[in-house]
Amino acid sequence: MATSVTAKPASKSKTKSKATLLNALGYKSLLTFTILALACIAGFASRLFAVIRFESIIHEFDPWFNYRATAYMVQHNFYNFLNWFDDRAWYPLGRIVGGTVYPGLMITSGSIHYILHALNIPVHIRDICVFLAPVFSGLTALATYFLTKELWSSGAGLMAACFIAIVPGYISRSVAGSYDNEGIAIFALMFTYYLWVKSVKTGSVFWATLTALSYFYMVSAWGGYVFIINLIPLHVFVLVLMGRFSNRIYTAYTTFFILGLVLSMQIPFVGFQPVRTSEHMASLGVFALINAVAILRYLQSKLSSSEIKYVFTIGVLIAGAAVLGVVVLLTYAGVIAPWSGRFYSLWDTGYAKIHIPIIASVSEHQPTTWFSFFFDLHILVVTFPVGLWYTIKNINDERVFIILYAVSAVYFAGVMVRLMLTLTPVVCVLSAVAFSRLLEFYLKEEESSSKGGDSSDNDENDEKGLYDKAGKLKKMKHEQQKENEAEQGLGINVRSFVVVAVMMMLMMFAVHCTWVTSNAYSSPSIVLASYGQDGSRQIIDDFREAYYWLWQNTRDDARIMSWWDYGYQIAGMGNRTTLVDNNTWNNSHIALVGKAMSSNESEAYKIMTNLDVDYVLVIFGGVIGYSGDDINKFLWMVRIAEGEHPKDIQESNYFSERGEFRVDSEASQTMLNCLMYKLSYYRFGDMKLDFRNPAGFDRTRNAVIGQRSIDLTYLEEAYTSEHWLVRIYRVKKPHEFNRPKIEKGERRFINKSFVSKKTAKKKKGTIKNRPVVIRGQRPSDQ
Amino acid sequence: MALIYSFIVLLLASYINADKETLVLLDNLAIRETHSIFFKSLTERGYSLVFKPVDDSNLVLAKYGQYLYKNLVIFSPSVEEFGGSLSVEAITKFVDDGGNILIAGSINSGDVLREITAECGFEVDEEGAAVIDHLNYDVLDQGKHTIIVADTANLIDAPMIVGAKKTSPFLFRGTGLIADKENPLVLEVLTASSTAYSYKPDSPIEEYPHAVGKNTVLIAALQARNNARVVVSGSLDFFSDEFFSSPVEKALGGQKYPKSGNQDLSDSLTKWVFKEEGVLRVGKVSHHKAGEKDAPQYYTIMENMVYEIEIEKLSKDKWVPFDAKDIQLEFVRIDPFVRTVLKSGADGVFRTEFKIPDVYGVYQLKVDYTRVGYTFLNSATQVSVRPLEHTQYERFIVSAYPYYASAFSMMGGVFLFSILFLHYRTTEETKKKSE
Repeated sequence: MATSVTAKPASKSKTKSKATLLNALGYKSLLTFTILALACIAGFASRLFAVIRFESIIHEFDPWFNYRATAYMVQHNFYNFLNWFDDRAWYPLGRIVGGTVYPGLMITSGSIHYILHALNIPVHIRDICVFLAPVFSGLTALATYFLTKELWSSGAGLMAACFIAIVPGYISRSVAGSYDNEGIAIFALMFTYYLWVKSVKTGSVFWATLTALSYFYMVSAWGGYVFIINLIPLHVFVLVLMGRFSNRIYTAYTTFFILGLVLSMQIPFVGFQPVRTSEHMASLGVFALINAVAILRYLQSKLSSSEIKYVFTIGVLIAGAAVLGVVVLLTYAGVIAPWSGRFYSLWDTGYAKIHIPIIASVSEHQPTTWFSFFFDLHILVVTFPVGLWYTIKNINDERVFIILYAVSAVYFAGVMVRLMLTLTPVVCVLSAVAFSRLLEFYLKEEESSSKGGDSSDNDENDEKGLYDKAGKLKKMKHEQQKENEAEQGLGINVRSFVVVAVMMMLMMFAVHCTWVTSNAYSSPSIVLASYGQDGSRQIIDDFREAYYWLWQNTRDDARIMSWWDYGYQIAGMGNRTTLVDNNTWNNSHIALVGKAMSSNESEAYKIMTNLDVDYVLVIFGGVIGYSGDDINKFLWMVRIAEGEHPKDIQESNYFSERGEFRVDSEASQTMLNCLMYKLSYYRFGDMKLDFRNPAGFDRTRNAVIGQRSIDLTYLEEAYTSEHWLVRIYRVKKPHEFNRPKIEKGERRFINKSFVSKKTAKKKKGTIKNRPVVIRGQRPSDQ
Repeated sequence: MALIYSFIVLLLASYINADKETLVLLDNLAIRETHSIFFKSLTERGYSLVFKPVDDSNLVLAKYGQYLYKNLVIFSPSVEEFGGSLSVEAITKFVDDGGNILIAGSINSGDVLREITAECGFEVDEEGAAVIDHLNYDVLDQGKHTIIVADTANLIDAPMIVGAKKTSPFLFRGTGLIADKENPLVLEVLTASSTAYSYKPDSPIEEYPHAVGKNTVLIAALQARNNARVVVSGSLDFFSDEFFSSPVEKALGGQKYPKSGNQDLSDSLTKWVFKEEGVLRVGKVSHHKAGEKDAPQYYTIMENMVYEIEIEKLSKDKWVPFDAKDIQLEFVRIDPFVRTVLKSGADGVFRTEFKIPDVYGVYQLKVDYTRVGYTFLNSATQVSVRPLEHTQYERFIVSAYPYYASAFSMMGGVFLFSILFLHYRTTEETKKKSE
């Protein structure tokens, strides 16, 4: 790859600079190569904060499952992984892992592991998993370079590669240890887009096939592939609408679509979805449409021009209507599944909150704030529209694509924080275009003779359609005029001032990226760090401590109930059976756990015995002020439980009289008696954290808890970690309630208070009416 | 194989090891003489009895965490405080650790007995109250109608507890018991007749009696969830030599029986309460696919599965095969998917074969045999049922033939078209579908 990269800009530059032909070729390719290598290294290095600060460890929640699955695949073989039925998750339902997972990630790191071991390099699979995302970020930088180069120029490509290497929006999902699908999927996404642009440009079956293969890799890696399979048809559709239909596009799309469709169906998790769900219908519709258009164009060559206009419009309309009609009909008949809930929530941000609380409960599914746009993209968020403007001004086939990508990604990123990730690459590309234009313009002073030079970069493509060229030339003239005017108006001082200012901005961008990466995105979240007043660092390792306890002290088949967030971690670190986990495929099962957590103890005990729960694990942050604990998530448990059991659980019962969610003495009785409250605050009322606050002061919610003395009947505390972050309770077995005794208050005969006559020395008991044995009389008569 | 029922096994194991050590607590040692037949029959059955006055200051149940006795007989109704280290807490803990207790109260039962019984789910009527029956009293009675005759019809229908059908009625003089109706473990072994009530015989009735008619329980029993057994009789005299050997005749007419049924019932009761009768245990549990021998790691849906469980019964200190026709197996994943009767074969091995449903998951093979008089029999074995592997699906299905046909016709078409394209020359560039 690397050689072909360097060759291309060199060949371009041939025409540009005639004077130092040989040198330019050498310098340019060396420069390109060096910059790309540095971008990869910078990207890799800036993702290592977590490893250096903490250790080489898998982060967060989902990565733990991915790691566990990868380890399973490495240990057993691929086919066993494909058929893996995990009976330790979702007890007692179990989970077919092979059929419910995107295996791309596991296969990628598994094959790296295999290759390294074949070369006798013994690397533990964990280290491969930890460092996979940083390595792939380098590949993403390369893919972005190629894409931008195809779209604009090689200079912009280098800039885009540098941006994507360090931009926080992408780093947030690809730091070392964040072993998740997104880490490799962004590479696959950019690479697919590059290949698609390439195949649109060339119209060759070869590139289109490569696009389909790359798409196949993307499908195997991440559910976000739906974005590709909608964006590419949209691109084609818009091109057809714009009258830019050509045989190149026809070849590229039909090849890509058919191969991509067949390949994507090879992933067990995807299965028949590409032909059965509404999410994929756009691609099918466009396929039909483009064929209709192709036939009409063929007819065009046979018929006269007056007829053709008529036939063409009618034909396109009929074809479009027919496709739409068929899709609607099939959806209605139930052959095609309607849009999924997750999809609806993209259009209506309030949809999930009402209908599917489980989706809304995930923090990364919340709408994005303006702040996070700046936080994740910094200066790029401002320059991105500029780049978009330039591409619109200089439109051609492939630039339509990047425009559509930009517009749709901006929308989606605004809906969900998580989709910031898909926006980030296009922002980098378009910002790079903007910066490259700017710098080209202001750095051009010495070689004013070659005015057309930079623009020749743009249409180096030899297979460009005729109409493209016409449009382009017009614009070029227009711009050249402008440029001339501008050049005349600008002095050398202004130029250098602007250049320095741009450089300053870029430097600040780099500083910001490093700062964000080091402060916000490099926490493994299973190991917490807190800083004392003297700057000393304290490691809070309660999670691993508790999971280790589970692993060492419970039966191998013990079943742990916790909120689903911790399912993967318990399975990954504690190696115990869980009831629900982060693969939230069964809403009613989660609702059952939510119901147990939000019911009172005896109700919860019924559910827990029904589900054979041995231990309950809750996260409690009140001691150290950890805000992501279960009490703060509790309302979601109630909502999810209410969704399935509206008769038993009502959200309003958990609020105080003034409608607030509180834990202090104003909290409602339902709240004070629910299992989650009891388990979180058990024995906490006796705990005095410091001198300023009374006992039972919850640091997370800044309140003294409402119920100080909590008794547990059906559970007993089994383990509480050092900082009380993780609390584990053992569920008593039915046989431990040996004799259902009559409680003191329910007895009919109240005993007279008896004062013991026993002392430490004299231990003689007491018998009333001590019988005197008299011979000849029955003792009981007395 | 997971031995979830291990607590039962442990319990039974400890039973076998323990001698029939029994501590007998008495109000005074005279009771040893007045109840000599009862104690003699226990001794004859192999129990080693240790008699202690209940206020003895050296009373102790456990030493160094080990129980010295397996069984406890409390024949000391008027105790107000136990001597030594004994207390209500110690005794309830003894039950929770699997010990068996036989308690006898009397008209003057002390509060401490009331507390012990309340811990077990029934209450002894207040001090001074006796069961009175103005219609069914014995000829022995001296006018207060407190020596009552309990009919055999009022006996619980559980041969395991009360032995074979009794003929003679029982003599009873003592206080009434009130069972907690919500407690599912309490058994009303013997109730009074519908004309009885429990009240202080010497005082005029000013308030409604606590126990009236059949609600007046004379002898109550409890089998705790750990299979510890407790029997409480409201009458100490029930076990006395006098009542054992006395003839029974209702004063207001009725048949005369030469000997009361007391001794008979007391024998059966002590056999039950000290676990000579009605003790079951689970032996080997195994399961495998039909036609195989060993348990697989996984079952696959729709397979046939064979389940075998060995159940033994204690009979005369020996474990013998148990025989029953009503033992059921449940195949449970939250709800039971299969419920089937286990057929008993030779050597007490119960066996069944069934088809695993078309639902994957983690199942429990549960045998939950709860019959009055028998110890609770629980066995749960966890098995995983996985879906079909990718190679196990049917390969060539009829409904797919049109698709096969279309695939092959497509291949043929491409082949033909390729020939056409290769040998047909035209100036214009033709483009067809790429595949």
